[in-house]
Amino acid sequence: MMPTWPTPPAPGTQPSTSYTASYSAPAFTPVQVRQSFGQSYSTPQPPYSVAHTYGPSHPPAPSAANIATNVNPAPPAAQEQAKTKIDWPDSVRRYVQRAFIPANLDSSVTRADMEAKLKETITQANEKNIMYSLDWDTMPLPQQMIREERARASLPLHSKSQAQGPTQAPGTKKRKSWDLTDAAAVHSASATPPWRAGAGAGRLEDRVTFSPDRRQGDELPKHTSKFNRADKRQKRHEGEYTTYREDTPPPGDGPVVGTCQDLEKRYLRLTAAPKPSQVRPPHILRQTLELLKKRWKKDQNYSYICDQFKSMRQDLTVQRIRDDFTVEVYEIHARIALEKGDLGEYNQCQSQLKGLYRLGLKGKTNEFKAYRILYYIHTANRTELNNALADLTAAEKKDKAIKHALDVRSALALGNYHRFFQLYNETPNMGAYLMDMFVGRERLAALCNICKGYKMDVPLRFVTEELYFESDVEAAQFILDHEGQDLLEDRSGTILFLTGKAGSRFEGARAKAFSRVDIKGQI
Amino acid sequence: MAFNALFFNELFDIFSKQDGYQLAQTLSPDIPTEELRRICRSHNAHSIKGALKRGLSAPAVGLDHQELQGWVEVYAAYWSATGVILAARDSNSDSSRSSDLLWTKVYEAWTELLNVLLRGYQSWGFEAWTIPCLYVVCNHLRIFAMQADKERNNNSSFDDAAAALQDDFDPETNKRQKLEDCARVLSRVFMVCQTDRAPLEESRKWGSYYIANLLLKTYFKLNSASLSKNILNSLRAGGRDMPEFSAFPKSQRVTFKYHEGVLAFLEENYVLAEQCLTDALNLCHKDAKRNKELILTYLIPCHLIKSHTLPTEELLERFPRLQKLFLPLCQCIKRGELHKFDLALQEGEDEFVKRRIYLTLERGRDIALRNLLRKVFLARGFEEAKEGEKPARRTRVPVSEFAAAISLGSQEKIDNDEVECLLANMIYKGHMKGYISRQHGIVVLSKSGAFPGTNV
Repeated sequence: MMPTWPTPPAPGTQPSTSYTASYSAPAFTPVQVRQSFGQSYSTPQPPYSVAHTYGPSHPPAPSAANIATNVNPAPPAAQEQAKTKIDWPDSVRRYVQRAFIPANLDSSVTRADMEAKLKETITQANEKNIMYSLDWDTMPLPQQMIREERARASLPLHSKSQAQGPTQAPGTKKRKSWDLTDAAAVHSASATPPWRAGAGAGRLEDRVTFSPDRRQGDELPKHTSKFNRADKRQKRHEGEYTTYREDTPPPGDGPVVGTCQDLEKRYLRLTAAPKPSQVRPPHILRQTLELLKKRWKKDQNYSYICDQFKSMRQDLTVQRIRDDFTVEVYEIHARIALEKGDLGEYNQCQSQLKGLYRLGLKGKTNEFKAYRILYYIHTANRTELNNALADLTAAEKKDKAIKHALDVRSALALGNYHRFFQLYNETPNMGAYLMDMFVGRERLAALCNICKGYKMDVPLRFVTEELYFESDVEAAQFILDHEGQDLLEDRSGTILFLTGKAGSRFEGARAKAFSRVDIKGQI
Repeated sequence: MAFNALFFNELFDIFSKQDGYQLAQTLSPDIPTEELRRICRSHNAHSIKGALKRGLSAPAVGLDHQELQGWVEVYAAYWSATGVILAARDSNSDSSRSSDLLWTKVYEAWTELLNVLLRGYQSWGFEAWTIPCLYVVCNHLRIFAMQADKERNNNSSFDDAAAALQDDFDPETNKRQKLEDCARVLSRVFMVCQTDRAPLEESRKWGSYYIANLLLKTYFKLNSASLSKNILNSLRAGGRDMPEFSAFPKSQRVTFKYHEGVLAFLEENYVLAEQCLTDALNLCHKDAKRNKELILTYLIPCHLIKSHTLPTEELLERFPRLQKLFLPLCQCIKRGELHKFDLALQEGEDEFVKRRIYLTLERGRDIALRNLLRKVFLARGFEEAKEGEKPARRTRVPVSEFAAAISLGSQEKIDNDEVECLLANMIYKGHMKGYISRQHGIVVLSKSGAFPGTNV
């Protein structure tokens, strides 16, 4: 189930002017790993009341009060709505049955599409609470709805481009009727959409021959597109297409030009060509971004923000908008996803950004290259790390964020945990969220080193400092969590960590922590 | 040579001897332009197939109907390719006509030839001794693919803004689309060789390693070494049904071992890498200097990691390129010059990263550090010897002495905690035996073999 939020204002009621004022405050704030530790150092230590065993319920030591920020990302707010059990009325059941009667089946509509449509229809009815009031017996069947939608999807788009394009060559009328016959042909021959074209190249070509940016009114591609389209039509009539791929909408005719004026829009995976009336044009999207920035600062509602950003990205994609604004949207979404530990979305954004930067679009290139390096450290992806290194220019290597990431990498490669944890404390931008992901395993590795290298014991405070724990308590807890109960000892007011006794106690945990990192959408 | 009586006589000769390599030569595009032109002009599109059919159907050649049909198609495809190759070669000499993507056309024509040839094996019963034809055709497919990509990339008018508008676009992919296509075609050829079920003596399996090598080469070029895994797995899985590895020609074995070794190297499997690369080096022809150089580029870092051994100066002297690459680092490691090592690594970084040995060489710093620490230990000298006993080394070394040694080169102060961290690391990795006593700020080294493998 989708999370809920206040319904978006109806079109028109939203005073769009209120958002046009540029609101440039960033939607994120750089984080610091730990703000101060030194002060608590000089104050006399509170006597620990524990001798040999640190109970897991050990009360927090006063020194912990000095800790300013805790950066461990909260688990993504799971705002899943409890699924309510629904009792389906008989009328709905009959409707579903009717849809699947063989006589009513339509070969141009796949079963999966029908089921999706059915689900959509019924869910909508349920949400609007009209499930019982609706006359299901006269309701159009899902296959009918899909057919109508397909026909509709092609129409408004054409009239739109007709109205817009002064460069439109003669023959528009013909094109329209062609498309209508297309639709008919699709039905009669149980044909499939053209992107399945045998040569494979067909689809991309007809997509790309359209003007990449309508606003520029580029004339040339439009002419060439005529030929390709003719080819495409020809092919369609040869009945070349025999399979239907789900989920992907039939290719529209070039980029959509949106007309939607709403600022907010829920994300819905497209199952049909996008309707211009439901796509927001760039100037609206800019306002949306400002609104979302504000919302994020105020509410920190991740599921809402993520959903809104996805719909923004979708609007940008269907309109083929690739400019600095696109970069900004992806960058902000990546940062927010990072903050919330949503690596799936983060990776999607990063891989898009990689391409966008390559196109020469401006953005925070260095910041995101640094994240990329940190991420490869996390996933221990040596090959990609090497590639990333190879891609860096001399100037980039001097950039603060990138240099930091490179230093982190080299510190880890050489086992210099001392340096590593210093760097952890100095992470620029939001890199700390990425480093948080592997700081645990590096602590284990360092602990293994310390246990092997130091005899007979070291003060617990030394461990706390070297491994940058927030406090002695946290350090102790870390040791306890990895079965080091008997390794802590209170000797005349100082807690000692008995390295001599540890043996290879932490090796198992270390090996486990370093074993394969598996992440959704890993890059 | 043209497709005339002389040519058919030669073919007859080849077929009766079953000389695959010589047959393959008749399908090579790598012949003087004049000769290519003679072939091209000897027939036209209407006459070519008829002429081939007449020539090849001489009873002496001894082809059955299907095979005959197949070879006619193959030579006809070759003939059509000669036309486009000539056009491409001609336009290269006069650059004014470079508006067309001629090499792309060559690539396409050549793909067609390969497809026809492949069909020959799949459905027209071409015999296994003719496999070298596949080698030659595949090898040139790769070359043409690279040429086509190069031509397209040089030609800005073909810089498709088009591809940039795909949903999942990657400008890089576009730069090498023909080579990627080539990789797909080659992997199909590989499967055709690999899955042949005929008895070993007449199996296409004998072609597996040659094609695998081409494919691996292509994957490396495409920077997608990870795809190579499938090839290796397939060869390993087919292990029992495959001919003995040692039965394959040496040249194929060297290349294959090299690729296998580099792949293992990239996965940090240094044991396997060392083994494969050593095999490759031993098999390598004594005069194949460039190949030896390539093998050693990876074998030297392997040895450094595995057995902490450095190449001798004599070895490096024989390979100037390797000398330039490795000598500065090796000297720093040997002398324990930590700071100079860092500088040398930085100096060569671009080259190292390009060859994908940077991350491995970086770990040589451990050895440099060990050698430095060892010097400190030696400089401490001996305890006062007791009567009649051998003098023992002083095994208690203040951390500050190690710190002084480490900052000697860079003249940068390094705090003791970091030094301890480095020492703990040395101990953990087994480069040094002993322990740190934090309380006393000293390191207590083992009386016997404080630095394993270095005689102290």
